[in-house]
Amino acid sequence: MEDSGTTDQKIVYLEPPFIRKATRSGLPPLRNYLLETFRYRTFAFHWSKGELKSRNFDTALGRLWHYLNPFLFGLIYFVFVGILTGGGLNSSKRLAFLVFNLYVWTLLSSMIMTSVSSVRNGGGGVLTNSALPKVVIPIASTVSATNLFLRSLVAYVPLHIVADRGFHIEFLWIPVLIFLTCLFGLGIALMFATLNVYVRDVSRFLPHFLRLWLYVSPAIWEYERVLESGTVNALARLNPTYSGFSAWTMALDGSIAENGPTLAHQVSVFALWAFPIAIVGFLVFVSREDEFAIRN
Amino acid sequence: MSLQLEIKNAVEVKNLSVAYSAVVEQAKSKKSSVLTRSTKIRKIEALSDVSINFPAGQVTGLIGGNGAGKSTLLKTIVGVLKPSVGEVHLWGRPHLLTPGMGFNRTLSGRENVILGGLAAGMTLDEVRSKQEEIIEFADIGHFIDLPTTTYSSGMFGRLAFTVATHVDPEILLVDEALSAGDSSFRKRAVSRIRDLCSSAKAIIVVSHSSALVSDMATEAVWLHRGQVRMQGPVAEVTESYESFTGETTETAQLQSGIDRK
Repeated sequence: MEDSGTTDQKIVYLEPPFIRKATRSGLPPLRNYLLETFRYRTFAFHWSKGELKSRNFDTALGRLWHYLNPFLFGLIYFVFVGILTGGGLNSSKRLAFLVFNLYVWTLLSSMIMTSVSSVRNGGGGVLTNSALPKVVIPIASTVSATNLFLRSLVAYVPLHIVADRGFHIEFLWIPVLIFLTCLFGLGIALMFATLNVYVRDVSRFLPHFLRLWLYVSPAIWEYERVLESGTVNALARLNPTYSGFSAWTMALDGSIAENGPTLAHQVSVFALWAFPIAIVGFLVFVSREDEFAIRN
Repeated sequence: MSLQLEIKNAVEVKNLSVAYSAVVEQAKSKKSSVLTRSTKIRKIEALSDVSINFPAGQVTGLIGGNGAGKSTLLKTIVGVLKPSVGEVHLWGRPHLLTPGMGFNRTLSGRENVILGGLAAGMTLDEVRSKQEEIIEFADIGHFIDLPTTTYSSGMFGRLAFTVATHVDPEILLVDEALSAGDSSFRKRAVSRIRDLCSSAKAIIVVSHSSALVSDMATEAVWLHRGQVRMQGPVAEVTESYESFTGETTETAQLQSGIDRK
């Protein structure tokens, strides 16, 4: 950088290791950003632990609510859908299908809702006062939601056995589906968290939007129902969660519908949604994160 | 001939401008405000073409009135805000002293020590090695294992301050953070800040109070409406700042007297 010296000593001034400057895109140097995000992984883990502990903190059943909520939710839909469709209330397989899909839905919606609220609340002062990459906060919320989902998988096993859904080789797709679901959920969470900083109404509108999204996703109805219908099928496939939930159902049941897509095909389609959504969500969030300090 | 690697400044701020947009609500008639809110986006230039060097091994005070841009400058150095124009060069990781950062009020004090330490950039091993020292310094007894929702505001402030000041920062930024707890704790807090000052590469202290800045810093920078008004030895800068604020107070008093008449 700069040299000065005496006859027997040469002083070399070191180049600065950190430089902050304006960029045209609003994005920081991404390599450094990702390295810094990795540096705060322990914080993300502990933040997530805290988040889990503080949920249902003041209830008598405490953590049991993490499992009870989707189960009761599933039971309600089981009764509701059973009466509406005239399919009856005597199918344990249908109950298992609904409960499991609602566990997956809870994973998605809780990632989105928790990320939006943590960013809105300033992440315990982290967003307004720290050099910590702000994406750590939604990542921590994803870790919390995934942690709960993994526990609910264990809680779901007895129902799976009672409903006789069977154990299949397709179960090997489950880790891939968990990864893709988390990636997809994180991308959506990052977009909504950013949008909510600009338009506060987003957090009010979000529960209704998520409810509607659930209804148009094959989480509470079987994906096979729309296979025969050309237009409805085409519309259903425009919904990213169609491929996701149909892949989950195929993996859990170990079977595919006649004339329907294969499991590998649905996983690939879901991956084609999840990766771009996660990348776009990340870039949108990171390019706007200094606004969180101003607008929060 | 021997080669010596050195740093001259810990922070160099070069031609820095920081502007941001704020949503401002506009006055509307009662009738029309029932249906919609009228807002306007206003561009605020918080810093304009600021160049300052903060030398290594030195405590620099930043003084100025409200809206001078002191906090914006600190937040840009720490990386919370991005420069609109210009650059900030840093020879070390900056740490803005923020009591309670990363805390989760439903967790116990002990758990918050870990969370706050990690949020401040410490590793888990570093936090664990300092945990007992932090608990002892905060002096909140058996409350340390209770949720912090059960703490009085003074107890919470003490714990938050203690965690924030047990980080070993390379560049320490202090923004009016010395008001935690009762008078005996405040004395210990000031002494703790002094210890930190001796271990950090550089310290930047922000305050409205020129007395506090004179007490801690050797150099000072006076910011006024987003620009550097003066920089140099602390005694000269604080003297000019005080005479300026005295004059502006007198002018304001005179003006209000004329208005009343």
